[in-house]
Amino acid sequence: MIPAAIREPVIVGRGLTQVYGAATVLDDVDIRIDPGEVRALIGSNGAGKSTLVKILTGAVRPTAGTVEVVGQQVHLGSPSEMIGRGVACIYQHSNLAPALSVLDNIFLGRNPTRRLGLVDRPRQRREAQALLARHGIQIDLDVPAGSLPAVKQKEVEILKALALDAKVLLMDEPTGWLASADVANLHATIRKLKGQGVGILYISHMLDEVFAICDTMTILRDGRVVAENAVADISRARAIELMIGRQLAAQTKEASEARVSRMTGSVRLKARGLARNGVFSGVDIDLNAGEILCITGLIGSKRTELVRAIFGCESLDAGSIEIDGAPIAVKSPSEAIAAGIGLVPEDRHRDGLMLGLSVSENLMMATLGRFRRGLLLDRGGMATAARRLIASLNVKPASETRQVRLLSGGNQQKVLLGKWLDGRPGILMLDEPTVGVDVGAKAEIYDILRAARDEGAAILVVSSDIEEVLAIGDRVGVMSAGRLVSVHPAKALTASSLVTMIGEAA
Amino acid sequence: MTELEHRRNFIKGVMLGSAALGAAAAGMFSDTDATSPKLGVRPAGAADRKKMAFIQWQPHTVPAAWSKGIEEVLKTQQTIDYELLDGQNKVEVQVSLMEALINQGASVIFLQPIDSVALAPSIAKAKRADIPVITLNIDATEAHAAHVEMNHYYGAMDIAKALGDRMGGKGEVAILNAPPGIVIRDQRTNGFVDGLKQHHPDIKVVSDQVADWDRKKAQDVLNTILVANPNLGGVYGVNDSMALGAVDVAKEKGLIGKMVIFGNDGEKDALESIEKGELTGTQYTDVYQQGRFAAAAATVLATGAVPASAFGEQGRLLMPYLIATKETVGEIQPAQRW
Amino acid sequence: MAGRYSILPLVGFFILVFAFFSFTATRFASATNIENLLSGFSFVAMLAVGQAFPILLRGIDLSVGAIVAVVGMIVFDLSLIFGVPGWLILPVALLAGAAAGALNGVLVVYVRLQPFIATLATLAAYRGLVYSISGRQLVPELSTTPLRDPWIIGLETYFDVGRFLGISSIVKLPWIPLSFVALLALVAVLQLVLSATRFGRDLFAVGGNLEGARLAGINVARVTVAAYAISGACAALAALFLVARLTTATEALGIGAELTAIAAAVVGGVSLQGGVGTVVGPAIGAFLLGVILLGLTLLGVSQFVQQIMTGVILLAAISYDRLLALRVRRAGPSL
Repeated sequence: MIPAAIREPVIVGRGLTQVYGAATVLDDVDIRIDPGEVRALIGSNGAGKSTLVKILTGAVRPTAGTVEVVGQQVHLGSPSEMIGRGVACIYQHSNLAPALSVLDNIFLGRNPTRRLGLVDRPRQRREAQALLARHGIQIDLDVPAGSLPAVKQKEVEILKALALDAKVLLMDEPTGWLASADVANLHATIRKLKGQGVGILYISHMLDEVFAICDTMTILRDGRVVAENAVADISRARAIELMIGRQLAAQTKEASEARVSRMTGSVRLKARGLARNGVFSGVDIDLNAGEILCITGLIGSKRTELVRAIFGCESLDAGSIEIDGAPIAVKSPSEAIAAGIGLVPEDRHRDGLMLGLSVSENLMMATLGRFRRGLLLDRGGMATAARRLIASLNVKPASETRQVRLLSGGNQQKVLLGKWLDGRPGILMLDEPTVGVDVGAKAEIYDILRAARDEGAAILVVSSDIEEVLAIGDRVGVMSAGRLVSVHPAKALTASSLVTMIGEAA
Repeated sequence: MTELEHRRNFIKGVMLGSAALGAAAAGMFSDTDATSPKLGVRPAGAADRKKMAFIQWQPHTVPAAWSKGIEEVLKTQQTIDYELLDGQNKVEVQVSLMEALINQGASVIFLQPIDSVALAPSIAKAKRADIPVITLNIDATEAHAAHVEMNHYYGAMDIAKALGDRMGGKGEVAILNAPPGIVIRDQRTNGFVDGLKQHHPDIKVVSDQVADWDRKKAQDVLNTILVANPNLGGVYGVNDSMALGAVDVAKEKGLIGKMVIFGNDGEKDALESIEKGELTGTQYTDVYQQGRFAAAAATVLATGAVPASAFGEQGRLLMPYLIATKETVGEIQPAQRW
Repeated sequence: MAGRYSILPLVGFFILVFAFFSFTATRFASATNIENLLSGFSFVAMLAVGQAFPILLRGIDLSVGAIVAVVGMIVFDLSLIFGVPGWLILPVALLAGAAAGALNGVLVVYVRLQPFIATLATLAAYRGLVYSISGRQLVPELSTTPLRDPWIIGLETYFDVGRFLGISSIVKLPWIPLSFVALLALVAVLQLVLSATRFGRDLFAVGGNLEGARLAGINVARVTVAAYAISGACAALAALFLVARLTTATEALGIGAELTAIAAAVVGGVSLQGGVGTVVGPAIGAFLLGVILLGLTLLGVSQFVQQIMTGVILLAAISYDRLLALRVRRAGPSL
C-alpha cells in the first residue's frame, strides 16, 4: 500500500532528556514512528508522557536530545517549526479560540494571506471544504467554535490537525471525554489516516483502546522507556506490570491483601441522588467513619465537580446530603466546614494554599475560630499548634514561619492536608492528592491519610492514579460521564481488573 | 496706616468698583449695533424664560460663594433659570458643558475657565451663537463680554508690602504657588515679586514651589522648603488653602509669631485663623459681591440689546479688596464672610 | 464576524436611547447638539476603539489617558518651543503614542506583569513625564499662547454636509467634524484588520485561548505588543484632535479618560474575558455614553447623578458579559 521508498520513519526522537531543577522528568528517551504506524504511548501518572508530547509539539525545548522529521533535523522548542514540518497534535484540553468561526479555527495561526496581510477567505474555504469531503466530516464552517457541543469541538480540533497535511499526528488522550459512539468514529478516522501513511502517536490510559487501535507500544516509567513492543506480542497484564513496575505491583497487591477493615459501620456522609444539570446526576454515596473511599475514572468523568458540589463550591440541582443522619443543605464552603467537611482541592496553588503566607497561617486558616480571643487571635497558641502539626506531618524544613511558596510540592501538599486534619473534620475529601508530588512524599501522604482513617475519619479520595487507588482505598468507586457506575471493595480488585472496569464504564 | 484709613480705602474701593461696573456696562453697550441681524432662532417660549449657568472649575469655596452671589441677584427676576455646573477640573468637561449650554441657547454663560487658552475656542463659539460669556477671575485669551476678577496684581503687591513690613524689611520668603497655566498664578506671583522689589528690595524670594492650591500638599512642600531654608521668615500662599497649610506647619514647628504667613482670597477659615493670631494676613475680596457684579452685568446683557459678537474688547472689572490682618479683619461683616 | 456577541442589540439600544431623549429633552435632536455629540465624543470613541485591542487579549490599558497627555504635550512643545512644522508633528505624535503603547505590551510580555499593574505603573510614569516635559512650566508665557500651526489647528474643521448636498435650505443638517470623519476611517481600517487579516485572526486566537494560540505557532509576544501599540496610537490620534480643539495642551489632559474608554469598550460588547468583540461596538458604545450624558444634561439632571448613571450602565454591561460567558461555559465542554 505504501511504497517502500518512503518507508523511512516520519519522526525519530533520540536521547530526549528533560530536567526541571533537581527532577529528571524524561531520561534519554528514544522514539520512532513509521508512516502508517499507530504507536501507543502508555505509562502511569508522572511517567513523562506529557513532557514527551510537549517536546514533539515544540511547546518545550528539551534539555538534551534531537528530533528528526522525515529525515530532517528540526529546531526544537518552536511550535510553528513543528507545525511547519507537519507534526500536528490533538490535545486533551481544547485549543480552540471560542469566538472564531470553525473555518478560522481550522487555519488558526496559518491563515493563507493575500496582499496587505488580508486573509484569503475563498482559498481558505475551498481548502476546508475539500478537507471535509475527504474525511467525510460534516460541520458548519461559519459558526463560532465556542458554540458547538463538545464532540463537535473535538472534530474541529481533528480537522485543524488534518488540515496541516500532517505527517505525524500526536493524540493526547483524545477520547477522554467522548461518548462511545464518538470514540468509534474517531477510531475510524485514525484507521483512514493510517491508510494514508500518517504516523500516529496515541497516548492513552485505556488499554482497551490501545489494544484495539494501536500497532506498537512504547511504555514509559519514571521518565525512561521500559519496553517497546508490537501490541500483538504483549498481554495486558504484562503491560500493566511494565507500567507500574513489578515491585510496586506486588506492593499494591500486598497492601490490599493486608488491609483490615476498620470501618465502624457508622455512615458519616450519606448522599442520595446528587445532580447538577449537565454535569453529573443520580450519585449516591455512603461514606463511613474509618474508611478511605476512592473514586476513580477517566479525566472528564466529573469527579472534581462532584466533590466541589458536596463542599458547597458549586450548587446542586437535586439530591440530599445527610451528615451523621441529620439532613443538611450546604450552600457554601463555610457551611461545609461548619458541618465538619474538609476539601483538599486538585490545584493546590490556585484553590488551596495562600502561597505568600507562612506555614503556620496556612495550617490554621480553616480553623482560626479556635484561636479567637475576644477580637484578637491567640498567636502563642497558634504557634504551638502549628509546631505540633509540622512535627506530626513531617513538613520539611520544620519552620512554621516559612512562606509556603518556598516549600516543595510534597511538603505543600502536607501543609494543605494538615490544614484540615488539625480541624479534625469528621469528613475529609481530597482531589488528586499526590499529583506533582515526589515518590517519598507520596508515601508519607498515604501514611498520614491512613493514620487519620485509623483515628476514625471518613475520607474520600478522587484519583486517576490506579496504583494510588489500590494502595490506599478501602472501597473504590468508578465514575463515568457524571455517574457513579459502581463501588467495589478494594480487596477484590487488581490493577488490571480496575483498568478494565474503567474502560468498560466509559 | 491707621485703621480708619484702611476702612476708608476699603469703602472707597467698593464704591469705585460699583462705579466701574456702571462705566463698563455703559461702555459695552454704547457699542450697540442695532443693524446687525440677530443670528440663531430662539425657540418659542424661550423669550419669557431665560437660562443662565455658571461653569465652575471644581468645587471650592470661591466658586461656591460666587454662585451664591449670582443667585442672589438673579432670583429676584422670576424669568431666569440659573444652574451651577461643575467642570470636574477637566478642560474637556468644561468645553463639553459650554457646547451644551450654547446648544440650549443660554442667555448668558458665567465661566471660571480652567485654562485661559483651552476655553478660548468655546468662547468664540458662544460669541458666534450670540451668547455673552462672563468670566470670573481667570481671563481667557479670546475677547468676550465681561471679566470680573479679584485684583490679583495690585493685591499681591500690597501683600508684599504688608508682609515685608512685618518682617522688618529683610529676610527670606517662600512662595507656595499654583500649577502653571493659569493667568492668576502669574498675576499674583508677579504682583508679589514686583511689590517686594518696590517696597522691600532687601527681602529675597528663596523658593517658589507648586503646591496645587491644596492645603495638604502645601504642608509637604513647605516642610521640604524649610529643610533647605531654615531661616525662612515669610511665606506667601497664592491662595488661602495653601497659606493655611503653611500655618499648620508653623504650628507644628512652633513658628507661629516668628514666621509671617500671608494668603490670598480671604475665605472664612482664613479670616478666623487671622483672628486667632495664626495666619498673619490675606487679601480679602468680597466674593459674594463679585458674583453679584457678574450677575448684574449678565441681566443687562441678557436684554439682548447687544449681540455678543459685538464685543471686540471686553469689559473688565477689578474687585476692590482689603488686606485683612489682625487689625483690620474686624471690619469684615459676618454677612460678607464666605 | 459572527461572534456570540452581535452588535445589533447595541445599535437597537442606541436608537432607543436616542429616541427617548429626542422626545423628552428639548433641543436634543437639534443639529447643534448632534454636532456637539460628534465633536465631543469622537475622541472618546477613538480611545475606546484602541482600548478594544488590549481587552480582546484579556488585558486592559489604563494608561491611555496619560498617553493622551504625553502626546498632547509633545505636540505643544514641538510646535511652540521648537517651531517644528505641523506636517512633521502629526506623524511624530502618532509614533510617540504607538511607542508608549508598545512599552505597555513589552512590560506585559517580557516582564510578565499583569496588564492592570503594568499599565497602572505606566499611567503614573507617563503623567510624571508630562509634567517634566511640560512647555508650560519650562516657558511660562507659552501657557497663554494658543497653537496656531494650520496642520494642527486644521484638525478642528467642520464640513457643512447640508450645503454640499444642496439641501441646507430644506433641513438643517449638523456640520460634520473632521474628527468624526477620522474616527470613521479608523474604525473601518481597524475593523478590516480585525476581521480580515491574519493579525486579526491571531488576536482573537490569543485572546480566546492563549495556550491554544501558542501551540498553533502564533507569535503571542508580537501580537500582544502590537495590540498595546495600537491602543497607544489611537490615544495619540485622540490627543491630536483634542489639542486642535483646545488650541493648547494641559498637563491634566485626559485624566480619567481611560475609565470612560474602558466603559465604552465594554458597553460596546468587547468581552473582558477576552477573545470576543469588534471595533464598531466600542465606537457606538462611546457615542451611547455621549448621548446619555448630553441628554441628561439637557434634561437638567445633576452631573453627580450622571456619574452614578455611567457607573450603573457599566455594571450592567459587565454583568451581561459575565452572563454570556457563564452560559457558554455551561453549554461548552468542561474538563
